[in-house]
Amino acid sequence: MTLEAIDVHHGYDGETVLEGVSLSVPSGEVLAIIGPSGVGKSTLLRLLALFDAPDRGEIEFGSERVWTGSQQRRLEFRRRIGMVFQEASLFDATVRRNAEYGLRVRQSWIGRLRRELSALVGMPAETIEAMEALETVGLQEKANQDAASLSGGEAQRVAFARALAYEPDVLLLDEPTSDLDPRNTAVIENAVLEAKKRGIGVAIATHDMHQAERIADRVAVLLGDGVIEVGDTETVFESPADERTRKFIDGELIY
Amino acid sequence: MSLASGLAVLTPLVVEFPFEWNYVRSIVRVSLYVSLTAVALSTLVSLPVALLVGFKEFRGKTLLTSVINTGMGFPSVVVGLVVLFAISNQGPFGSWDLVFTTEAMIISQFVLAAPVITGVSLAAVSSVEQNVRDAAYALGGTRVDVAIVTIKEARYGIATAVLAGFGRAISEVGSVLIVGGNIAASDGTSVTRTLTTAIQLEAEQGRFETAMLLGAILVVLVLVVNAIVVRLGNGGGRYG
Ligand SMILES: Nc1ncnc2c1ncn2[C@@H]1O[C@H](COP(=O)(O)OP(=O)(O)O)[C@@H](O)[C@H]1O
Ligand SMILES: [Mg+2]
Repeated sequence: MTLEAIDVHHGYDGETVLEGVSLSVPSGEVLAIIGPSGVGKSTLLRLLALFDAPDRGEIEFGSERVWTGSQQRRLEFRRRIGMVFQEASLFDATVRRNAEYGLRVRQSWIGRLRRELSALVGMPAETIEAMEALETVGLQEKANQDAASLSGGEAQRVAFARALAYEPDVLLLDEPTSDLDPRNTAVIENAVLEAKKRGIGVAIATHDMHQAERIADRVAVLLGDGVIEVGDTETVFESPADERTRKFIDGELIY
Repeated sequence: MSLASGLAVLTPLVVEFPFEWNYVRSIVRVSLYVSLTAVALSTLVSLPVALLVGFKEFRGKTLLTSVINTGMGFPSVVVGLVVLFAISNQGPFGSWDLVFTTEAMIISQFVLAAPVITGVSLAAVSSVEQNVRDAAYALGGTRVDVAIVTIKEARYGIATAVLAGFGRAISEVGSVLIVGGNIAASDGTSVTRTLTTAIQLEAEQGRFETAMLLGAILVVLVLVVNAIVVRLGNGGGRYG
């Protein structure tokens, strides 16, 4: 199931950010989106996550146009996408409740009411999927803690588990590790590779070139107002077709 | 004077006037019925309005915001006057026969409490981070789910809003006196007499002991409702 941007144009208040961007996120593959800060990586990921319709161009999911369909259909599409932001943005609740959120909103109102009531009398329903997702990031023991008690790295790992729990077809990660230490970064990167193994398509915006080299199958370089180059990770890093790519990568690798 | 010594002073009064208890109980019942109903209705209206004003752009938003802000400090006698006119024979709702009823008192307390609850809730929901709302949406939530998350994140502030609204409703005298009429039935029990209007009447007629007992009950009621709402706010911790 491929999520795709086709000749997408988008901007804010008349300022163009993306001009004619085409990019696909196929199943079972990790795509790194690299580019300088402010170039439009987040804008592109938000379009792929169906937050807003692009000013021009199409977003397609499984070759079906998303924005020409009904709102109900769009909700179905959105529910096959998971997204993690730079900040964990956890809900003020337990770790388990956070991990279950995506599953909960997919239930009927009756089912949700029943769960709320049983949680209220101290018998929360076990959610196997949510616990498995927490296990993927090594936090199953913290399930009953308050999210507020976690460290920044742990919180981001929960945010990742929260997006993984409902088994999306596509995961969109917006600089998920840029505030994290190496150990927590490694946990997230392993979880990304784990997701890929399960057939999930992953797009990860990052300005960490080493991270792109470590986990990405393909790399898209976003410079100016568009994608100037897409290719195998090795090709893009070793022998880029575009001179600007080499300059950007060399410049970033200095850090 | 501490609470304990205050109660010590009041205890003999209660013992001396055992016949007052039906009277007192009926007043408490009317007060609670009117104020709790008014606050519940206000909350039902105020939360959606606060979410709308907080997160949507629409025509008349500036006007609505200034109506809310003005309403928060609106004098209760004026509200009573306007409500009385609206439900009087000359008014648009004259045929509903609401003058000097608890329904009329609920209406005027609704008008008094709603702006307070809306205004304080608005501040609370506005402080919920956009990141958290985005996360709910990205995880497959609908607009309604995002609204629910926002209310849950803002629950302490909303509890404060409800408390402030209840405080304003149960402790005001002006409007309930005007639209309710401070009426007691022939057996002496309250029809539209609330704690505040009863205190005013008892004090005016020189029955200070009864007035003070009613005053103490009013304070205890406000404290109890405070405690319950704060507890509810804390208990909402396990959600998502
Ligand atoms: N909601 C918004 N309103 C106005 N401008 C925005 C908004 N979001 C992003 N921008 C602008 O769009 C450009 C691209 O931003 P962004 O997509 O966040 O870049 P990146 O994620 O690559 O750092 C920036 O110039 C930014 O200021
Ligand atoms: Mg960004």
